[in-house]
Amino acid sequence: MDTATAKKKEKKDHRQLILEGFVSHVLEHGKEPASIFKFAKDLKINEVEFYNYFTSFDVIKSSIWVALFEETHRQLEEQEVYKEYAVREKFLSFLFTWVEELKKNRSYLHSLYGNKVTTFKNLPTDTREFKEKFSDFASELILEGKETQEIASRPLITEKYDEALWLQVGFVFRYWLDDNSPRFEKTDAAIEKSVNFAFDLMGKSALDSFLDLAKFLYQSK
Amino acid sequence: MSDQLKEQGSIPVSKVQRAAKFISTGAKVGGNYVKHYAKKMVNPSMNKDELHQNNATDIYNSLSELKGSALKVAQMMSMDKNLLPRAYQDKFTMAQYSAPPLSYPLVVKTFQKYFQKTPEQLFDTFTRSAVNAASIGQVHQATKEGKTLAIKIQYPGIANSVTSDLRLVRPFALRLLNMNEKELDHYMGEVEERLIEETDSQLEVARSREISEACGHIPNLRFPSYYDQWSSDRIITMDWISGKHIKEWMDTKPSQALRNQVGQALWDFYHHQVHNLKQVHADPHPGNFIIQQDGTLGIIDFGCVKVIPEDFYQGYFALIKRELVMNAVELDQIFYDLEFISDLDTEEEKLYFKGVFKEMISLLGQPFHVDRFDFADDKYFEQIFLLGDRISNDKMFKSSRQARGSKHGLYINRTYFGLYNLLNQLKAEVDTTKPDWLK
Repeated sequence: MDTATAKKKEKKDHRQLILEGFVSHVLEHGKEPASIFKFAKDLKINEVEFYNYFTSFDVIKSSIWVALFEETHRQLEEQEVYKEYAVREKFLSFLFTWVEELKKNRSYLHSLYGNKVTTFKNLPTDTREFKEKFSDFASELILEGKETQEIASRPLITEKYDEALWLQVGFVFRYWLDDNSPRFEKTDAAIEKSVNFAFDLMGKSALDSFLDLAKFLYQSK
Repeated sequence: MSDQLKEQGSIPVSKVQRAAKFISTGAKVGGNYVKHYAKKMVNPSMNKDELHQNNATDIYNSLSELKGSALKVAQMMSMDKNLLPRAYQDKFTMAQYSAPPLSYPLVVKTFQKYFQKTPEQLFDTFTRSAVNAASIGQVHQATKEGKTLAIKIQYPGIANSVTSDLRLVRPFALRLLNMNEKELDHYMGEVEERLIEETDSQLEVARSREISEACGHIPNLRFPSYYDQWSSDRIITMDWISGKHIKEWMDTKPSQALRNQVGQALWDFYHHQVHNLKQVHADPHPGNFIIQQDGTLGIIDFGCVKVIPEDFYQGYFALIKRELVMNAVELDQIFYDLEFISDLDTEEEKLYFKGVFKEMISLLGQPFHVDRFDFADDKYFEQIFLLGDRISNDKMFKSSRQARGSKHGLYINRTYFGLYNLLNQLKAEVDTTKPDWLK
């Protein structure tokens, strides 16, 4: 490798360097670095240089969440069979793959979130961008589900479905953090069961027929 | 870190959900009873058949949704037909065939975990949906290099849920099987042990190989080969055996000779295991047997294998001899050894139970008393059923405060009931061979 490209690569990889440096700091010390100044010094870069990429540690953490999501998404797209899946299977597949990605970073996530987070709600800054991306993804799924009749269209409620799926992602994350079964088998079971439950709720059910009947009785009185 | 894990880990969501499922079943069953008595007030001539029918449906529905060991218990109850009212029987035999499936993404994930490859990458073809539900998982069909394979995939976390599931099933078993708590606990331990073994795929493969090798010389039997390179803790890959289950096969109206051939193969298979190997495929429900076109019997699923302890073997089969030549003292000793009677019994109880067990044994031993037995004889099964009914409704039996019969007997009885039932379904007449010392 000649020096010119090496230099270029180094430049380009500053962002990556900071991300990796942050993760390894958390891994080694079990907490965030004390200050950006100290952190930049450890990485042997200028603090100003740091601000070119990130403005705070929260932004770094947010980027890591987004990276996890995007990697998951990429892997899904790679799978031939994914396109043939029904919406329920797509979402299952997403969670299964996502949890695998989390597993690669379990120590990092555990150090940061293991003992304080109860839901994503307590983490608005860390996960805001991830949530946005996920919501786009979920909305697409819901739209597809409505087309294939997998998801029942209910006024007002349907618009909140992406929010519900987001809560489920939070649930899975929490469950996974606390899971100590071999190979995280319990998380797999939890995903399978909770997604089935969620989609059974979103699908056309006795409740819809009941509401329809109630409306009819009320109107024809 | 690990402390934190435990703290939250004590709320296993799945268990709560499972419990809720059982509670809703309990409510339904209770509701059925209420309905039953309400109807009965209007129409006093109504009998309990409809009630049993309703209960069976509700219980089956919830058990089959739960999968895993609960389903296993359903299967087991369906095996001991003579213990259950008629209406439960047919419903529970359904449990042997169908249950809600694992999603395909989870199947893919399971493969990726163990082989770092998707099923499509491993095999030439792989069915997206399960072709069959096994009790603790499901079966997919695949092909690879011209071979057709059956791939059994276990549900995640099954091994860990056995114990808690059994605890949940307990109240139902108490009611349905008409047992008291002591009796039940006496057997639950044994059941738990078998179930935990059953979740061990590697043990299953090892045993399948061992037994199929030892039974290789028996004519008209076929065992699948197992493939280590595609097997792991939760996945078993074996040859696909094509053919029909007994019920479907009987619909094709096979000849008596062919039925006898299959029946004989089945008898010989069990004879060799019980008397020579002293370990037995203790799960003779119809789903585990496949009859091929040429009338050979394919045997799959060695999940449940019972090893027969020597002293139990001696005592148990000594009772089956046609003429009990031994004197009363010897016989008493065997009854003690097999835990049919104990020192806690009063003289009256001892006398009663000895009588009952002698009757039971002579009835169950009937096929052994002749050289050739016709299992098509429904009258014989009716007799067993009536006896079972009579005993379970007898006051003496109900008020007995202790478990009767060795726990080893549980699976051996089940095996023989299962075998008799299969032979009855086949309407087969077989040479009932027995070891020399029993002749």
